[in-house]
Amino acid sequence: MKARYYIGGAIILVFLGLLFYNFTQTKIEYESDFTKVMQSGKVCKASGVWVKEKSFQENLQDKTFIFYIKDAKNNEMKVVYKGTKPNNFEIATNVVVTGKFENGYFLATDVLTKCPSKYQGQNVNTSGS
Amino acid sequence: MIGNILISIAFIAAVFSAVMYFLNYRGYQNALNFARVAFHTMATSTILASVFLLYLILTHQFQYKYVYSYSDTSLPLGLLISTFYAGQEGSFLLWAFWMSIIGVILQQYTSVRGDLEPRVMAVYSLVQSFLLLMITPLVKNPFALIYSEPFMASASTINPQLLNLPFLADFVFSDKATGQMYVKIDQSLVDALQSAGISLREFIINGRGLNPLLQNFWMQIHPPILFLGFSSMSVPFSFAFAALIKNDYREWVKQAFPWILFAAMVLGLGIMLGGYWAYGVLGWGGYWAWDPVENSSLIPWIVAVAAIHTMLVQKKTANENSIGAFAKTNLVLVILSFVLVLYSTFLTRSGVLGDASVHSFVDPGYFAYLLLLIFMGTFIALGAGSLIYRWKYLQQITPPQKNLLSREFALFTGAVVLGASALVTLLGTSAPILGKSVQIQFYNDMNLPLGILIGLINGLSLLVKWKESDGKELLKKSTFSLISAVILTVIMYFAGVKDFKMVLFAFASAFAFFVNAEIAFKIIRRNIEKAGAYIAHMGLALLFIGVIASSKYDKSIDVNLVKNEPADVLGYKLIFTGYSPTEDGKYAFNVLIEKDGKRYKASPIMYNSEFNQGIMREPDIVAFITKDIYISPLSYDDGTGESSGTVFELKKGETIKFGNAEIKFVDFDFPAEMRQKMMSGGDFTLGAKLEVKSYGKVFEVEPKFTMSKGNRTPIPAEIKDANIKIELVSLVANQGTVKIAVSPYQTETQNNNVKREVLAVTASIKPFVGLVWLGTLVVVAGFFIAMLRRLKESRS
Repeated sequence: MKARYYIGGAIILVFLGLLFYNFTQTKIEYESDFTKVMQSGKVCKASGVWVKEKSFQENLQDKTFIFYIKDAKNNEMKVVYKGTKPNNFEIATNVVVTGKFENGYFLATDVLTKCPSKYQGQNVNTSGS
Repeated sequence: MIGNILISIAFIAAVFSAVMYFLNYRGYQNALNFARVAFHTMATSTILASVFLLYLILTHQFQYKYVYSYSDTSLPLGLLISTFYAGQEGSFLLWAFWMSIIGVILQQYTSVRGDLEPRVMAVYSLVQSFLLLMITPLVKNPFALIYSEPFMASASTINPQLLNLPFLADFVFSDKATGQMYVKIDQSLVDALQSAGISLREFIINGRGLNPLLQNFWMQIHPPILFLGFSSMSVPFSFAFAALIKNDYREWVKQAFPWILFAAMVLGLGIMLGGYWAYGVLGWGGYWAWDPVENSSLIPWIVAVAAIHTMLVQKKTANENSIGAFAKTNLVLVILSFVLVLYSTFLTRSGVLGDASVHSFVDPGYFAYLLLLIFMGTFIALGAGSLIYRWKYLQQITPPQKNLLSREFALFTGAVVLGASALVTLLGTSAPILGKSVQIQFYNDMNLPLGILIGLINGLSLLVKWKESDGKELLKKSTFSLISAVILTVIMYFAGVKDFKMVLFAFASAFAFFVNAEIAFKIIRRNIEKAGAYIAHMGLALLFIGVIASSKYDKSIDVNLVKNEPADVLGYKLIFTGYSPTEDGKYAFNVLIEKDGKRYKASPIMYNSEFNQGIMREPDIVAFITKDIYISPLSYDDGTGESSGTVFELKKGETIKFGNAEIKFVDFDFPAEMRQKMMSGGDFTLGAKLEVKSYGKVFEVEPKFTMSKGNRTPIPAEIKDANIKIELVSLVANQGTVKIAVSPYQTETQNNNVKREVLAVTASIKPFVGLVWLGTLVVVAGFFIAMLRRLKESRS
């Protein structure tokens, strides 16, 4: 009887070890400080605000979408996304890009746009007239 | 007012009914009638509140914030109804609505089965109390009036005839970034309108509308089914908790069995409908993206399925002397499945997933966040606390397990593997709470071996007998399935499934399929009632095979389709034949797909959405038995040059590279006379002086544009020797930057006026995706048959 518990326990331990190992291997950190993003060069999720003034470029030839985002300290970073402009891009309050910084720009594999209006009523900050 | 009153009554009645039911259980005979009346009052009020909200939506009463925020007058009836649950408030109300309907049935069900009613209904009413608390007027009130807090309403939703009212000037604002006009609606505006004899309903004549992403058929069925699944998950929990209250574990499994089968059936269906929505309309490319919101409803489903299997063992092994095996496991799993539903709600609605998920709700505010935490915390504390309290006794009465080669043990192992899969998914999904996130690879890597085990155990557990089995006999019984599975795996191997783990997964799924198919085939003719489990297992095996083929072996390519020019793509001939407007104001881009003389048509959709202020895209699918051809639109260029080329933004003195050319922005050409014309609103011309270096030569050019009555006419600069064309897009004088579009100079586009219309698409071939949907339907059918059988048994 006892042997069974030992075997079961061992399997559980191995599984948990594997789980933890895999988790640490594939986890992605969130980073909102772009100076750190640019230094580390590791895959991360960087969240920032689209720099509207710099607009964006849509390159139809090699299907890249290029724009700039900035963090809370106004550090700007160029983002190159392999894909087309994501839905809701223009109205996004916040952009979360997944990828890593290399060769002077952030190569994104995923761009997530967070919209205030997506599921909730919009609260517009107006500059009073 | 009516809505607020109804919800408040419902909430108070729910609390009262929970208390009365509990008192009745503790021996107060008189309390039962009070409890029943209170419960039905709660159910009636909740249903009436739901009807009232629907009435407000259907009659376009935009003075209600919820109606204003999610609907408008242009929506067709079906979608208009679906705005009921487009926001947090309404979806909680929908949940409470289902809880009321299920509750009335549950009350009837429990009242004819021994002393169940007071205990079960007390717990159930407590759950409902918390749900109703979430939508009481103080928290997430679906009946809040628009001016309860100052609200910025877009001027386009206001009655235009009333916009020039003199006192409105104080309430109109414009957003400088977008140029949109807003009217601030607050108490003082309402008062001013009232004294002018105008009601708010006359004043606001339209709403913000529903996000176009949600405007499709699936929005009308996916959320209601998912919430029905969530609601029904609280029933088995109520039974388990009721058993703990009474400290009697003999009957609850039998009585809760049809309910948990129902819950798993509905929740599973809801999850997969969401998958189909993502696949067919949202254009995610697949049906499952391991998005935290998807995961968070999958986790309770997996745990519930695990519970179903161990509950079966307890039911089977129970007799006069024993409560049956796995009594503790069952309590833990059933409580866990409900707690995980609450956890799922917390994750998706508290805003903690914020940056991690495509479709999490925004932060609901501190108070609601806290309430959600308390809601979840209460039931975790109640569940864990009562388990600990009863644990010693449970330990004494649970019979020990004996044989390893028995169906009991196989089912238990299956439940453990399912639990492991739930744990993996839970860990990945919860990572955002720690400020982290995991790559999708984590879910795939960890769940794949578990999937293989699930397939094997799925097959094996049905071959071994209850109590004790003989090894040789087992081998004999599995001959057919083993051989068939090997054959199918070999076929899949030669069709391209070569990855070792995938081969194993394919074999395990095929094995599970054939074992179940063999048994189901024998049983169905004799007694279809008993075939539920086998049918569900077959469905799962089919789904697994579909997952293997479609997710690992799909082919995908980005192509540019020039109008009327056939392109060879993945073995098919694709021809873009132009676009046509659809009935609902979108554009369908027609692509003919030809192979072996057969012709199919795909019409992916793109449209510009005012709501999202951007281009929205919807894929189109041509479905065959063996594969789907999936055409997802990327962009469309009508060839007139507006968006042709690469857009650069340059500061004064900055240089960029394009091909072999270096382009430097030297200075603006914006003389004072033009500036004056611009100020006075007349026509004007602007230019940018550029210096272009190419192959050692230097060119000085000046692309310009003319503005006339707001229309921009570009005068591009063309340099044949450098093979480029530069168009001035815009110019921001105060920042000293210009935007230019650079494209290769092509003589053909210059010499003839034929427009080259180009549609860029992602074309994919997804083999056997249909099996995923077929498998889902078969699983649901299996659950349904099993539910009917267990419902019958629960009466005995």
